[in-house]
Amino acid sequence: MKLEVGYIPIRDIRFGPESKVDNNVLYVNKRELSALILADEGIASVALDLARPGESVRITPVKDVIEPRVKVSGTGGIFPGWCAKVRTVGEGKTHVLKGAAVVTTGKVVGFQEGIIDMSGEGAQYTPFSKLNSLVLVIQPKEGTESHAYEKSLRLAGLKTAEYLGKLAEHLEPEEVHTYETLSVTEGIKKYPELPRVGYVLMLQSQGLLHDTYVYGVDAKQTLPTLIGPTELMDGAIVSGNCVSACDKNTTYHHLNNPVVEDLFSEHGKALNFTGLIITNENVYLADKERSSDRTAELCAYLGLDGVIISQEGFGNPDADLIMNCRKIEAKGIRTVIITDEYAGQDGASQSLADADAAADAVVTGGNANMVIHLPAMDRVIGSIDRVDHIAGGWSGSLKEDGTITAELQVITGATNELGFNTLSAR
Amino acid sequence: MIITNNPLVRSTYENAHGVLFVEGNYRDVLVQVRDLVHRRHHLITHPMMGSLKPNETPYRSVIVSDEPQKNVDVDSVLIIEEAILVFDRFTKTARSDRGTGSTEKMKEDFREIDLSLLGSALNK
Repeated sequence: MKLEVGYIPIRDIRFGPESKVDNNVLYVNKRELSALILADEGIASVALDLARPGESVRITPVKDVIEPRVKVSGTGGIFPGWCAKVRTVGEGKTHVLKGAAVVTTGKVVGFQEGIIDMSGEGAQYTPFSKLNSLVLVIQPKEGTESHAYEKSLRLAGLKTAEYLGKLAEHLEPEEVHTYETLSVTEGIKKYPELPRVGYVLMLQSQGLLHDTYVYGVDAKQTLPTLIGPTELMDGAIVSGNCVSACDKNTTYHHLNNPVVEDLFSEHGKALNFTGLIITNENVYLADKERSSDRTAELCAYLGLDGVIISQEGFGNPDADLIMNCRKIEAKGIRTVIITDEYAGQDGASQSLADADAAADAVVTGGNANMVIHLPAMDRVIGSIDRVDHIAGGWSGSLKEDGTITAELQVITGATNELGFNTLSAR
Repeated sequence: MIITNNPLVRSTYENAHGVLFVEGNYRDVLVQVRDLVHRRHHLITHPMMGSLKPNETPYRSVIVSDEPQKNVDVDSVLIIEEAILVFDRFTKTARSDRGTGSTEKMKEDFREIDLSLLGSALNK
């Protein structure tokens, strides 16, 4: 399976009479796009806004961030199971509006969280401050229940990203990256000396605001399975997850998974990137047992020497993470886990809700309890009134002058457990 | 058996499942579950389901086995004790109101999320 991903860099975003990409500027026809979004009968209104890197703008509450992409050749289309039929994606050619993003906001529930600041201290903690963003502020029709509203918001984001992505279909990319996955036997023949390394990608899957979809299927209904790493780049995995702003994986993260990226870049040099296994994080303890058993069996079946395991979210996924780690290690396969920490505001408490001696190699995305200070912004897109009630905020977090003192976990993507962030430890 | 302090969970499931309603907060639910686990009930769902933080939502629902089993399940003991430790750690720092100070509309949302998370296990 071979995919060429072509980058069309986007350096600015503006509204205009015609949606197009011209001279690295993304122009959006507000009326045309609004009509497309309003075709969903559950949506009462949509306001389109722009946010550019460096501007004094705060976006909140952020639901999802999505990168516009289009399939230029190869089977299927972007976001299979949603915007395209469920045919397998991940081969052929895909174009990306690199540097652009669709950000969806809308309060599915009153305590909805997630802040993106485009400048100031907060901007340093989120990778999304560097993107030219089209923000959708979406209001549901009166009486729409939360599940239906979440779905409308999710689909509006995907449809918008697809609409913008199509503008890149006939453009010449400035940069092309090629990713190729060999079959298991081809890989062994070609790289007999290299350690065989796999990646276990854990997906949040627990209910309203905690779900992830694979080819349109709710991940909590699935068993762990193998998936081509390039399938992710074409949108096979979509986020419906809005809780734990700092350590949820947005759709943007799935499209640009940095673990996949790094494993590909070392493939054939330091290691043989043998396979990607997706697994879920369910509420039911028997599901946790079943899924971690399956995951470990798949790792052994592939004859892996090492596995990287990445987590999503807070609390009970720690149990899934440690079960995966322990069971894979028990097969004689070494593991490295990627997580983040809730170690208290002073960083002195135990970081995870579970532990095991087998988890002796850990990469952390940072301490989500760290206190940060955000300056006031000239403009807020979305609504700010509930900062006192979201995770990481407290009564008085939002000051009258618009400044915010809160824990790092209020920032979208700040301690992402794929390593897609700007924090490091010295 | 569902142990909960969420009235919406009680009203939704009381006819289909055993519901032990706790007149109390999130921690009181965890303590009730701990006591049952030490009396040989086994945990069926993870007490820290969902990514809402313990000092954020006032509601919690946990499923344990209807009947006491032959032995105490050591994993269940470890999981519930850890959940209580995590709860205490979170409420020691900021936001000690554990969501109880939130508006009625917001509490409604918390109840719905709690119901949805629990439903993801029950409706399988």
